[in-house]
Formats: sequence, C-alpha cells, structure tokens
Amino acid sequence: MTEATNHGARSAELSMALPVLEPEDMPQQGAPVISFDRVSKVYPAQPNRPALDNISLQIYPGEFVFLVGHSGSGKSTLVRLIIRELRPTSGTITIANEDLNSMRNWRVPYLRRNIGCVFQDFKLLPNKTVFDNVAFALEVIGKSRSIVRTQVPEVLRLVGLQDKLDKMPDQLSGGEAQRVSIARAIVNRPPLLVCDEPTGNLDPQTSRGIMDLLERINRTGTTVLVATHDREMVDNMRRRVIALERGHLTRDQQRGVYGFDV
Amino acid sequence: MSSLVYFLKQSIQGFARNLSTTLGSIITIFLSLFIIGLFLVGALVIDNIVKSVENEVSITAYVKDGAKEKDLEKVQEFIKGLDGVSSVSFTTKDEALEEFRNMSSNADIVEELGGNPLPASINIELSNPQQVQEVATEIQNSKLFAKVADDKDPAKSLKYGQRTVERLFQVTNYLRYGGIVLIGLLVFIALVFINNTIRLAIMARRKEIAIMRLVGASNGFIRGPFLMEGALHAIIGAALAIGCIELVRRFALPQLQSSLAFLPIGVESRMFIIIYLVLLAAGLVIGLIGSAFAMRRYLKV
Repeated sequence: MTEATNHGARSAELSMALPVLEPEDMPQQGAPVISFDRVSKVYPAQPNRPALDNISLQIYPGEFVFLVGHSGSGKSTLVRLIIRELRPTSGTITIANEDLNSMRNWRVPYLRRNIGCVFQDFKLLPNKTVFDNVAFALEVIGKSRSIVRTQVPEVLRLVGLQDKLDKMPDQLSGGEAQRVSIARAIVNRPPLLVCDEPTGNLDPQTSRGIMDLLERINRTGTTVLVATHDREMVDNMRRRVIALERGHLTRDQQRGVYGFDV
Repeated sequence: MSSLVYFLKQSIQGFARNLSTTLGSIITIFLSLFIIGLFLVGALVIDNIVKSVENEVSITAYVKDGAKEKDLEKVQEFIKGLDGVSSVSFTTKDEALEEFRNMSSNADIVEELGGNPLPASINIELSNPQQVQEVATEIQNSKLFAKVADDKDPAKSLKYGQRTVERLFQVTNYLRYGGIVLIGLLVFIALVFINNTIRLAIMARRKEIAIMRLVGASNGFIRGPFLMEGALHAIIGAALAIGCIELVRRFALPQLQSSLAFLPIGVESRMFIIIYLVLLAAGLVIGLIGSAFAMRRYLKV
C-alpha cells in the first residue's frame, strides 16, 4: 500500500517539469554502484586475445555513463559480467557492495532484480501484448496482481505508450518496441539500468527519443550505463564516457565525446 | 499459492503445445505403471498359492509288509513327539490300494499283478512347512523307523513335497526377475519420454525463460512449470493405470477364481489400496526425475 502511494507521488513528480540537473551536480560520492577491480575475461575460444584485459573502473549512484568502442571491443562482455551472465577470468566485480565472485548461484536472480536490462533486439515476447510483456517482468518475480495493475500502466505512461497497452509487439515501430523493453526494465524500479546498444536498430531521430527517455530515468536517481557506438548521441549528450579498445580501457572522461575515428 | 496456480496454468499450456509427445509420455507412464501393478497383483496371488501349497506339505513314510504292530505304534509315538509335527495318521495296505484305484485311470493293472503291491504308510502333517527337511532327517536317522522302513535304506522310504515347493519358488523367482527387468525397461522408456516432452516444452519457451532470467525470476519459479508438467503426466498416467487395475480386480480376477476354483487367488482390498498408492508414488517419482533430468540438461540457470 505504501509502495503504491509512494509510487503515485513519484510519477506525478515525473510528469511535471523535472528539475534540471547539470552533469557536474551529480554526486560522486558514497559507495560505487559498479566497481571493477583488475577484471579480465578470456573466452576459451580465444585464449590469446582477452575480451577484457585488466579493467578497473567505478560507477557511482546517479551517474549516466556511456560505454563506447567498436564492435568486439568488449562492451557486451562488460555488460554481461555486470548481470553475472558471465564470470570474470580474474579480478573482482562488486555491484552495490556485493562481490559477484563469491555470490551464490541462487542469489543471482535477486541481483538481477536490481538491474534493469535493455538490449538492441528488445527481447519482447511476440505472443503477449505490450501490457502483458511489461507485467510479465513483475509476475515472474512474484509481485501481486494489484501491484501489476497499478505499476504497469504507470510505467507505460512514463515511456509514452499509454495508448498502446493492447498492441502486440509486431504492431509497434522499432522505437516503440524499445520503449516497451525499457518500461519492462524499469517497472521493478531497479537502482541500476544497463543498456546494451539500445539504439542499435533505430534511426537517429528515434534514437534521440530513446536517449531522452534514458536521461529522464537517470534524473529520477537511477544509475544508467549505456553501451553504444552511436557517435552523434555521445557527442551531443556530453556525459561520462568510458572507452574500450580491444578489451583495454583507453579513456575514462567526464563530459566526454565518442572520440574514435571511424 | 499464486505461483502454484501460475505453474499449473503454464503446464496445461504445455500440454496443448506438444499434444502428441505429451500423450506419448502419459501412455508410457501408464503402461509401465499398469504392468508394475499387474506384477504386484500377480505376486500377491502367487504368494497366496505358494502359502496354500506349503500348508499341504506332508511327509509320507512307507512301511514294509509284515512290520510288527508294536514297532509301528512306537514309530508313530516317536514321530508325534518331534518338533513341528502337527498330526500323524496311518494308511494300511488296503487303504492305499483303494486310494490308488480311485486316483488311477487304469486301476485294472493292479488286478493283473495279483496281490497288493502297495506298501502301508505313515502320513505326517507338519505345523511348519519350513521344517520339513529337519523332520524328515530325524525320522530317517531313527532306529525305530529303520526297523519298519519299506526299503533297506530309510531315506528311500520317505517321500515329501520339499522339491515341489522348491521348484515353485524357483519359478516364481524367475518370474520375479523377469518382471523386475521388464519394469526397469519400461521405467527407463518412460523416463526417456518424459525427458523428451519436457525438453520440447523448454525449447518452446526458450525466449520466455531468457527474459525470466533477465528480470530476475528465481530458479524455482523458472523450473516450477516444468516440474509441474512432469508431475501432471505422472498423475494422469497413474490414474489410468489404477483405473485399469481396478477393472482387472472387478472383472478379470473373479473369472480367474471361478475357473481355478481349487487355488485361492483372492487378494484383500486393503492390499489393492496399498498397490494403488505405490503406483501413484512410483509415477510421481518417475515424472519428477524425468523432468528434473531434462532441466539439468536443457535449462541451465
């Protein structure tokens, strides 16, 4: 009950004009949300060419971070390490003060409930409506029907799809489908949102809309990490940029640009 | 509670999705349980028969012609005093002949021989059929019996049903081993079928499972529908098998009993209830193990 009212207050605030925070206002304090300490990942298929080589980085609560690099530079590997779909060959990863190496397998689902995930290919269920796709994320973690009924329409309003609740995924445009998948990622209000090429399949204008949405989500206090090779987007937004090149961390810059010559 | 309902809904959807393989696994479970059940009933029936045959185990001690009345009485006294003997009776030569005439189809043969070739005998009933060997040995070793025995060797004058019972046991043992092998094969086939059905169910829901993992559904929640599906197959298969065995009990067993009236094959209904419970439990174990096996291989969480 309190959760529902809390939530109502929050969304009302969201729909109003949000206070605009400059990037430098973002606090870089407290314990980092994501912390990599000398992390390497070597795939067995390519033992001589590590996908990630000795990466150390910290991401703090409330940050908006771009992870840039060419294909094969290790962006996706890094994302999959964060949600513990993969385990590092060496080094330690800490998410919200929890060491992923020593985490028991049965705890992994609870880690993932605190990390929203968005992918290039949306990963929507084709036989479910927009509403059901988002509701599914709540149902399978055991949320009650009343929570589903209040939170799903709300989050769909947040991403601007309040009129498309009953559409099937194949009736949506690419941008709309990606909004649905973002809605699904944040419907459980995770403190961390990780996006792997969220605009990879979308045209520039639609991509801008998605980025605006991610920025709005970031302004509610959610830490956002976006892996991308969308140069224009990164250059426009001037947020923290972490650059990867062949598994090496080559640059970590506040208010950075994409910076690769393509 | 709500997730149980969810599991049930999902597993029923799974039924509809792969109807043919679902039917296949239900039928194999049904058949293997049915045959297990038949063997159990058969084992009970045979057990009853063996018991009744065992009860009829008796020792016949043949006595030579012209044995002294006094000696015979002494031997009978002695045998009566042995452990495990319930009663002793005497068959005279005439009685033996009469019996032979009644039993044999060509009784005239006796007339041809002239005189009475059959020996008199002492019939010994045992209270405990397991002791037949010991009692026989004691009689054989006693001097009293040696005096009156029909043959010079007292061992040859003793006849008892030991070997019949042993042979019966041997046959039932073969049947039992055969049954265990057959049941093992059927259970194996049922496991393979369930494994396959659940594998198809997992394949069909691959995308859903990937998303469930992504949003943090617990492992139990992801596995639940498949375990439920395996269990449902098992319960339906077991119900069919129980129904069929109930039919056998109602209709086939009385028929068998009336055509084999001399054998006691009636089985208590209490035993049937136990058999049904065993079948249900065995079905559940098969179903759950089959789906657990499929999940280990195809549902890495």
